[in-house]
Amino acid sequence: MDALPVMIGFIPFALVLGAQASQKGLSIVEVPLMTGLNFAGGSEFAAIGLWTSPPHLALILAITFLVNSRHLLMGATLAPLLRHLPKRKAFAALFFMCDESWAMGLSHARKRAEAGHMIPFSLPYYLSLSAGLYLTWVVFTALGAGLGPMIGDIESLGFDMAFPAVFLVLLRGMWKGFRQARPWLVSLVVAALTYLLVPGGWYVAAGALSGIVAAYLWVEENPLEEKPAQEKEMQEKQVKEK
Amino acid sequence: MIETDLIETNLIDTTVLLTIVLMACVTYFTRLAGYLVIRRVSLSQRAITVLEAAPGCVLVSVIAPYFVSERPADLAALAITLLAATRFSLLPTVVIGIVSAGVLRHLLA
Repeated sequence: MDALPVMIGFIPFALVLGAQASQKGLSIVEVPLMTGLNFAGGSEFAAIGLWTSPPHLALILAITFLVNSRHLLMGATLAPLLRHLPKRKAFAALFFMCDESWAMGLSHARKRAEAGHMIPFSLPYYLSLSAGLYLTWVVFTALGAGLGPMIGDIESLGFDMAFPAVFLVLLRGMWKGFRQARPWLVSLVVAALTYLLVPGGWYVAAGALSGIVAAYLWVEENPLEEKPAQEKEMQEKQVKEK
Repeated sequence: MIETDLIETNLIDTTVLLTIVLMACVTYFTRLAGYLVIRRVSLSQRAITVLEAAPGCVLVSVIAPYFVSERPADLAALAITLLAATRFSLLPTVVIGIVSAGVLRHLLA
């Protein structure tokens, strides 16, 4: 059920990507082949933007890596949660890891941990979510490729705003106060500036890395930050018990 | 068998196929590598704190271009969507985002 709004958000992007790909000369078989094997919208948009006939292989692979470099971090944050799974299952789960499935799987796990579940990560939840997103993506990119020339201006209807809307709601779910969100602000500023000044997909990697460096430096600055908070909580509990 | 038929009928070009398959390999590598590295080492408290901040950094960076749009209508719609995200769940926020972008682009075009 959680997947429904995100699937709706996928549809306009999938249609636009399929339509753009068909304009670049990809066939109605090649488009779902690409989206089905990659399942990574950001890099697919970037690749189609750079597509020539024949395609410039090295350039497209470099951009694909750059745009998807965030997966390295996302996989790293999932690793502790997937520890209970055998490698085979974890590998399969990771194939379907996109921004949305990852963020929703993570926030679902967080909620379950708060509710006291021993194994916070739910593979059935994650897989059913992923299956819905995957099918939507592949079917509607193929549809976009087929309908390509017939589709009018999707952007003028505002459908592309679904994309930041989904991400903003996901960010709200991760919000733990302004102090913890300071690295996000660094990421936003650096990514925006990189986007304006540097062509290509560099802004994602630059923004994400600068925010992480900022987070690291802020922990360095005050490494005992967590401890007093815990102690305070303990004291409050003791007071309450009395 | 099916694949060779497709290639012969020009539905799949071999260079395009090669590019797509290699793209997929690069993409899947990025999905596996982070998991494989972290799985082998145990994490310090500091590393955990940094990893907790990382997801938000990635999400913010992906949507950063929307914050520096040249179109006033898009910026206004983004502000409305941002406000909606702080109050509503996913589906209403997405609907508000789409409607506000569509209406504002129409009015301010």
